[in-house]
Amino acid sequence: MPANLRAAHPSVVALDAHFGDAILGHELVAGDEHVVFIAPDRSFEILQWLREDPDQNYNYLSDVTAVDYGGGRPIQVVYQLFSIPYRRHLRLKAELPLDGLEIESIVPIWQSANWLEREVWDMFGVTFRNHPDPRRILMPEGYQEGHPLRKDFPLRGRFSRAEQTRRALSQDPEDYYVPSEMGAGRTPQLVPWQEFAGGRAPMSTQTDPSVEEPRKS
Amino acid sequence: MSDVIRSTGAGADAAPASGEGSESGGLMRGIFGEGSPTFLTTRVDFVVNWARRNSLWPMPFGTACCAIEMMASAASKNDLARFGMERMSFSPRQADVLICAGRVPYKLAPVLRRIWDQMPQPKWSVSMGACASSGGVFDVYSMVQGIDTIIPVDVYVPGCPPRPEALIYGLMMIQEKIRGETLSRHHEHRSEPAADVGRPRASAVEVAALSLPFGNSTRQNRASGLVQTMPTERPGDRIP
Ligand code: SF4
Repeated sequence: MPANLRAAHPSVVALDAHFGDAILGHELVAGDEHVVFIAPDRSFEILQWLREDPDQNYNYLSDVTAVDYGGGRPIQVVYQLFSIPYRRHLRLKAELPLDGLEIESIVPIWQSANWLEREVWDMFGVTFRNHPDPRRILMPEGYQEGHPLRKDFPLRGRFSRAEQTRRALSQDPEDYYVPSEMGAGRTPQLVPWQEFAGGRAPMSTQTDPSVEEPRKS
Repeated sequence: MSDVIRSTGAGADAAPASGEGSESGGLMRGIFGEGSPTFLTTRVDFVVNWARRNSLWPMPFGTACCAIEMMASAASKNDLARFGMERMSFSPRQADVLICAGRVPYKLAPVLRRIWDQMPQPKWSVSMGACASSGGVFDVYSMVQGIDTIIPVDVYVPGCPPRPEALIYGLMMIQEKIRGETLSRHHEHRSEPAADVGRPRASAVEVAALSLPFGNSTRQNRASGLVQTMPTERPGDRIP
């Protein structure tokens, strides 16, 4: 990968400088989308730095998802970040071998990762260490067949249709539609406004002069 | 309708015979003016079925794209209310006909079954669209392959999605079905054993037989980790 491609994205350069050997690779896809491969055991540290460093300030987590390319290849956990003040996109990928599907949860950094990580757990079986609520989110709570988006998962599930129907109807819908989750009986946690502003780089509308203006075409 | 005409006709025929001598009115002073009878003979079955079929309140169970067409059939152009479905009853306790419009995943199956159990008799159900009727194109791990494995279905409306006309036709077929019902066999048609509440309608053997022609989970073959066919190409591999 020629060095000038890395230089096109300031965060990639900064990541290289800061984390050196934890940055395993860089890739440019679809013309101008920068993908950085990071070491899974240092993912938390890297992502926290990307959020808190005033020159990066990736304060918006667009998505956490995963990709399984099959054939025994590692599963990639994908973090799609966006920096609202700098208007910058960055995609980070951490490759997890199939026998060690575990990575640190980033809920302490971005609250929005909560459900997204639950979905990755549900669909791919990636365990997120220290996740506050490690439950399934899409499949029923008592789903026994595995993690459906993995390439080694049979298309129609592992059980016969009759068994699937029996299991589906043997559960009580109220088991997973918990009233307290719908809002009733839950005390809202009010966070003082200062907590958002203090300790974080203030939101600025100025863009970094070193960043090119977005192309208008 | 013809039943009513015949009944009133019989009454009108009988009236002159019985009321010939009495000038005082009474039975003879009907709503249609002098000489028409104030009573009507008909069959209880007919009146009950007439009342039932002309005030069918649908319980809309719209889960996917088909529900858009269901809404369209209730909107002004197609106006379901013309046929007595005046009120979309969003509570199962007040509903007569369940319209399942859209795909039902296994997670929703107990909800569908419970809503059906909550509806009071007499009740009917329409399976609207390919997904509700058979699973449609979604022959996958998460999908119920036809809601008739969960609840009894009276009318299947094919299409993806069916047009509002098709749904209205399906509901009119339910009206036709009600026309042929009789109270003397009500119990036979309408009783539900308590043991059936919350249970799948189809037995395990039936469900297996339904899904067998399409391959079962143990017989499928695709490019998965289990059945290795060819290396999968990563988008990144194409970058020079
Ligand atoms: S039958 Fe077609 S329109 Fe209806 S729910 Fe299925 S996919 Fe959607």
